[in-house]
Amino acid sequence: MTIDPRTAAAIVDGCAAAIVVLGVGLAATRSIGRAIWLVAIQSALTGVAAIGVGLATGAEHLVIGGLLAVGAKGVVVPFVLGSILRRSPVRRERHPLLGPRASLVAAVAIVFAASAGADGAFVGASVAAGRGLPAAIATVLTGLLLIMTRRKALSLVVGLLVFENGIALTAFSLTYGMPLVVELGVLFDVLIAVVVAWIYARRMLDTFGSTSTDQLRSLRG
Amino acid sequence: MTELLAALIIVAPTAAGLGAWFADDRQAGRLAAVGMVTALAAGLTLAARVFAEGSLRVFAGEVVVDALGAYVLALVLVVATIAVAGSASHLAHERAAGRVRPHDAGRYYALLLWFAGGLALVPLVDNLGLLWVGIEATTIVSALLVGFTRTPAAIEAAWKYLILGSIGIGFALLGTLLLYASSVSVLGETSDALAWTRLSEIAPRLDPGLARLAFIFALAGYGTKAGLVPFHTWLPDAHSQAPSPISSLLSGAALAVALYALARFHLVTAATLGPAFSSTLLVAFGLLSLAVALPFIVAQGDLKRLLAYSSVEHVGLATLALGFGGHVALLGFTLHLFSHGIAKSTIFLAAGRLVAESGSGRIGRLGGSLARSPADGRALAVAALVLAGLPPSGVFVAEIAILLGGVQAGWSLAAGAAAAILALAVAGFLFHVMRVLVGPPGSAGAGPPASRRWALVLGVPLTVVVAAGLWTPSPIGAALEQVVGVLGGGRG
Repeated sequence: MTIDPRTAAAIVDGCAAAIVVLGVGLAATRSIGRAIWLVAIQSALTGVAAIGVGLATGAEHLVIGGLLAVGAKGVVVPFVLGSILRRSPVRRERHPLLGPRASLVAAVAIVFAASAGADGAFVGASVAAGRGLPAAIATVLTGLLLIMTRRKALSLVVGLLVFENGIALTAFSLTYGMPLVVELGVLFDVLIAVVVAWIYARRMLDTFGSTSTDQLRSLRG
Repeated sequence: MTELLAALIIVAPTAAGLGAWFADDRQAGRLAAVGMVTALAAGLTLAARVFAEGSLRVFAGEVVVDALGAYVLALVLVVATIAVAGSASHLAHERAAGRVRPHDAGRYYALLLWFAGGLALVPLVDNLGLLWVGIEATTIVSALLVGFTRTPAAIEAAWKYLILGSIGIGFALLGTLLLYASSVSVLGETSDALAWTRLSEIAPRLDPGLARLAFIFALAGYGTKAGLVPFHTWLPDAHSQAPSPISSLLSGAALAVALYALARFHLVTAATLGPAFSSTLLVAFGLLSLAVALPFIVAQGDLKRLLAYSSVEHVGLATLALGFGGHVALLGFTLHLFSHGIAKSTIFLAAGRLVAESGSGRIGRLGGSLARSPADGRALAVAALVLAGLPPSGVFVAEIAILLGGVQAGWSLAAGAAAAILALAVAGFLFHVMRVLVGPPGSAGAGPPASRRWALVLGVPLTVVVAAGLWTPSPIGAALEQVVGVLGGGRG
């Protein structure tokens, strides 16, 4: 099955725009449950965008990688994260280093900076480039913003996933994605990393009674 | 035959690990030993063949082992064998302290073997993407090992390691992507567009802008894994909280593997842009690591953290050597990688037993260890002298070569600064080790006397490292020259 490049470009545009908006939404929310939902949709959209480019260009590995990404990051990962959230006594990001309003402003600033900065930086890459790349850079930076300003273990994992989504978007805006073996390896690693994060979040719950990383301050010097 | 050897290196530890996971505690130890020794034998045979016959290419070119790869592979397997050999004693101590639950030993051995298998995979693959996958996989497995004791401090260390490691390794993936983008525009979308053998051939035609950006991201990413300042903050926590044999593997092998990844990127980047760009960055970050680790060594109060910061110091020195370039400095780098890996993995085993006996890692409480536990105390003393770079030892020769090579390559100022920092760090390091060995006795209790087997586990590696400073058999010397040839940009 193939679709024509113009439709594919429209799909990528739509997905990239939605991914950026979801990133801004993630920066603005305090509810960890909502953050998990938003990042699940965002992950699924990166997969859909990859499928779109794959169908347009006939690159099967992008389609396969995209389908697996939708299943793994869009379904399995949020399920795993949700299971910790249900056991956790605190389900909101109560004292982030940067409040929701300031985060919102920062996220919007990131989007503008990324679109200005990416212009003309990479000429001559694939179909999606130029459209996908500013969105990809903005998503990577939004992920870093979340990791730096949030204090709950689950919020940090959400931030990491946003960061990963940004990298996935970069991958196919620059080059139609990596070779399939590499894509599969990356996806597998991300999944295992989330499972290990789940294990440690559970241990934190058992040991400290919450998943707040504020308790992790005993190791110094 | 070569296929079989290459496959055994990965399959033996992976399968033995799987068996150990389900085995009872005693069988797990035996399975681990069998799996590790098999991998070691296969790996050393493969490495010997590479050094005798030149690069090997198997599995349709997916696996390519040149002299550098063979050398790192041998180091990883030797250090992993030391770690497995030291695990029985560690687990016995933990069991006596009531910290081992049923099935813990099996899981511990399984994770340890998978960690070792992942590290061994990295120097075998001829693909920067799969290299990334391998390093990320080792990060995840070792994060489980760092927090294995489940104390609050261990959970904290493991969490920081997991999060910082994931961010770092994410940057390395971005670097890999950018390099892939620049190589795809030359080669088209072939599967070997990420093969470092192909990349070094086409390096002069790569897009310089993308290559520059790719190296910066790779430096931040693999620099995080290698513990380069300012990406090192997870390292002292993880290396000090992990079970001691795991600290051995982390400090002795995992850091070397990250440096290996950095070296591959450096080779491609230098071939694209000329050596100046990446060399300068490596020298700068190497010096920064040396300088920042110094105060933490001098003012350290915890034995395992002292060893961890010494690793930061040594990684800084190795990065510096890579940046200096030139035959002498690269020979120093090569020798340093091995000597430091062996000495550091041994000293972590000795220190781990001292800490386990006293129930505290505080240097003040460990005083008088030499009288209390003579075998571990002596090993700690010898390994500390080796790591401090005192003659005769492989580290001493390596440090002299690196500093001389730096001066030769025109980096006199950097080499001078590094020499001064190293001298101060040695003083601080040895002062603390002396306090542990012969300082006023702390509250520590004496453990059981060391077994003959334990004396071998500590004694054999240390003898090798000390001997490396006195005499290099000519086949080993020729092998080192081949590694330097690869690092110098030639094809081994």
